[in-house]
Amino acid sequence: MTHHPSRRARTTLGAVGLAGVLVASLAACSSDSSSGDPAPAASGGVSKVDVTLTSASGSDACDLSTASVPAGPVTFTVTNKDSAAISEFELLSDDRIVGEKENLAPGLAPVSFTVTLGGGQYQVYCPGAQNDTVAFTVTGKAATPTGSTQALLQDGTQGYGDYVDGQVAGMVTAVGALKTAVDSGDVAAAQQAYGQARPFYEKVESDVEGFTLPGTDPTDNSGNLDYLIDMRASNLDPAVGWHGFHAVERDLFQKKAITTGTKKLAAELDTNVGKLAELSKGLTYKPEDLANGAAGLLEEVQANKIKGEEELYSHIDLVDFASNVEGAEQAFAYLKPGLEKIDPDLTDTVSTRFDDVKTLLAGYEDPDAVGGYTTYTAALKASDSAKLSQAVQALQEPLSKIAEKVATAQ
Amino acid sequence: MTTLRDRRDDPADPDERRRLSRRSFLGGGVAGLAAGALAGGLGGAAIAHARADEDAPADVSETAVPFYDQTHQGGIATPPQRYVVFASYDLTTTDAGDLQVLLARWSASIAQLQAGRNLGTVEPSRPSGVPTDTGEAADLGPNALTVTLGLGPGVFDDRFGLARHRPARFDHLPELPSDRLDPKLTGGDLSLQACAEDPQVAYHAIRDLSRLARGTAVVRWTVMGFGRASAGKGQTTPRNLMGFKDGTRNIKTDADLDQFVWHDGTDQAWMQGGTYQVARKIQMNIENWDADQIGDQHAVFGRTKQEGAPLSGTQEFDTPDFARKDASGELVIPATSHVALAAHENNGGLKILRRSYNFTDGMDEYGQINAGLLFIAYMNDPAAFVTMQTKLGRSDRLNEYISHVGSGVFAVPPAPATGHYVAEPLFG
Repeated sequence: MTHHPSRRARTTLGAVGLAGVLVASLAACSSDSSSGDPAPAASGGVSKVDVTLTSASGSDACDLSTASVPAGPVTFTVTNKDSAAISEFELLSDDRIVGEKENLAPGLAPVSFTVTLGGGQYQVYCPGAQNDTVAFTVTGKAATPTGSTQALLQDGTQGYGDYVDGQVAGMVTAVGALKTAVDSGDVAAAQQAYGQARPFYEKVESDVEGFTLPGTDPTDNSGNLDYLIDMRASNLDPAVGWHGFHAVERDLFQKKAITTGTKKLAAELDTNVGKLAELSKGLTYKPEDLANGAAGLLEEVQANKIKGEEELYSHIDLVDFASNVEGAEQAFAYLKPGLEKIDPDLTDTVSTRFDDVKTLLAGYEDPDAVGGYTTYTAALKASDSAKLSQAVQALQEPLSKIAEKVATAQ
Repeated sequence: MTTLRDRRDDPADPDERRRLSRRSFLGGGVAGLAAGALAGGLGGAAIAHARADEDAPADVSETAVPFYDQTHQGGIATPPQRYVVFASYDLTTTDAGDLQVLLARWSASIAQLQAGRNLGTVEPSRPSGVPTDTGEAADLGPNALTVTLGLGPGVFDDRFGLARHRPARFDHLPELPSDRLDPKLTGGDLSLQACAEDPQVAYHAIRDLSRLARGTAVVRWTVMGFGRASAGKGQTTPRNLMGFKDGTRNIKTDADLDQFVWHDGTDQAWMQGGTYQVARKIQMNIENWDADQIGDQHAVFGRTKQEGAPLSGTQEFDTPDFARKDASGELVIPATSHVALAAHENNGGLKILRRSYNFTDGMDEYGQINAGLLFIAYMNDPAAFVTMQTKLGRSDRLNEYISHVGSGVFAVPPAPATGHYVAEPLFG
């Protein structure tokens, strides 16, 4: 199947939409996949491989119409005849995923994908099959390395690294402004500044939360920058006490007063954010780091924002929510050019579900509120939290599959 | 009667367990509802039958109910297992293709689960892989799991272009007398009823099937039930949480199933061999009931508590005599008793197949026990339930002690053949 980037596809539109587009006859596919097969059916220089999933007396099989094709474009057409156990098909090269199809089930129309393969040994992997790994040979010259999926993903990690650096720099500036507002003693201005400063940390939290001050014991929270910057009242270490954003939040939104203590907290936050910026500068990432980071940000949404536990006093949880989502989407966006080569259906599904979440969040925008989103009150939480959580769950499930794909991309 | 569970709970009796026959269960209970010894529950007859079959697997945890190539879906005429997890879903998609893929993947997954297999892998080989099966039932065996898939009236509204397939008699239930329905516990576009001999097996099925639905459907309401509160064929009659036997006069013959339960496909061929499922979450006012005197409890049900006999008789299976009067000229079985109002003799011969379970949700906000009956019934015309509940809702003496708080109606298609999925003809 040729990928159409503009198509707004759900999980497996391919399964439905492709019926009839492709192969006319799928009946004659399960031939013996031993070596020395005749040249496969080809049209217009595209080789065709039919993959048939079957089940007989509890044993599931994944059979190829041919075990060898010449180098060049190859279309795999996967038909699940009657295997309840197999829902996935992967083409691997040296354990790296070259192409795949998911959401296979008996009764659905055949699905196809086309990849351009260089000469070499490949494996077909059908989890759930008795013969779950089948050898597949491509004859002819090896693929040229330029423009490979891995190169696209590497480009993406560099772009993402720049994005993180930009967010951290923005955080340094915004926390400086928060300190200035606190020092001025103007509670309303400081509240606004708090709302402006929060998003930066939330967008890149999964990348910057692991830093400790040089020379400190990793179990000692007094040297843990995430603790010092972002700890909530509910998780305090009594030996270290409360520091950071949320201690300032309590003064500004619950006490609604700026004291000497508040000013001290804001100054300390400003210092620690500066230290974090130093330590995190020029971080490099592997593709799976981006995927895991995005998944981590969505876990943050589910664990703390949906429940309104992150911003206990200001109730700007939806600001943090939107920032977590933005950070996750940025990580995904930088992986997208490479991921589309590996699994266009998954890429489309994740894109669509990000759009769904963003559309939902857009309904809560309020330019007059601190941070630009409506206050997450107890009443709003009661009426809307399930809807918000379910939209994020729908995104988390496909997003959780990305790390494995990009980690194994060639 | 000795039940299978009694024996399984008795470690001193391993030989007895080994003698229990999987084959007799499948042959009698699941495949055909044929004659004679039915297991799943089980009465002494089944055990006696099983003793002849020494080669069979050991216990009910190894019992598997086939999914493909059956005339009807499992979990309807299947002898009721001990536990249920019922879930109703709202479709969040408006794309018929998404619904189609969900039904296909659910069907294949149910086939796997009923065979006692994982859904894919619990432990992927690559460290960055995410387990596709959540794992909590990995070592438990199939436990006679059945998952019954139903389609709500919403599937046939204007969202999916499937309106032409809506059976003429299938629609949302009307508002019925005494209904106190909570919208959060009412309705749904799809239903899954997972029944098993181990509650964790039923829970795992619903959890993993709900996970597969993410992005396409979300759980609307769910009930976890126990205690098999309706007898199937060959089973001793279980009790509801009011302490009364439930299901004494339940449908137990193939002739009744054909007449009252299975759809003949007249107006919609895809429903042939299917049925309609009505699910009602019925809360009981447990504390009030517990304080009620036995004479009134008998009059409310029209039966005795211990034996379960109609007040006109002495044995559980005595046919009730609704005309019999006592010395003072009063009906022995009050006309407003539950059994009198629900009896087929007083409803133009109408019968439905009941397959209910007891539930508890802990304590409610008023400091009262939140418990009751997950009433599930199957019939070939939802009007049967409407007729009966209209009558019960108006005058049943039981209404003083119960409230219908949740409700749903679903069309249950027949089982698919190998290589196909439930409701596939809708997408042809």
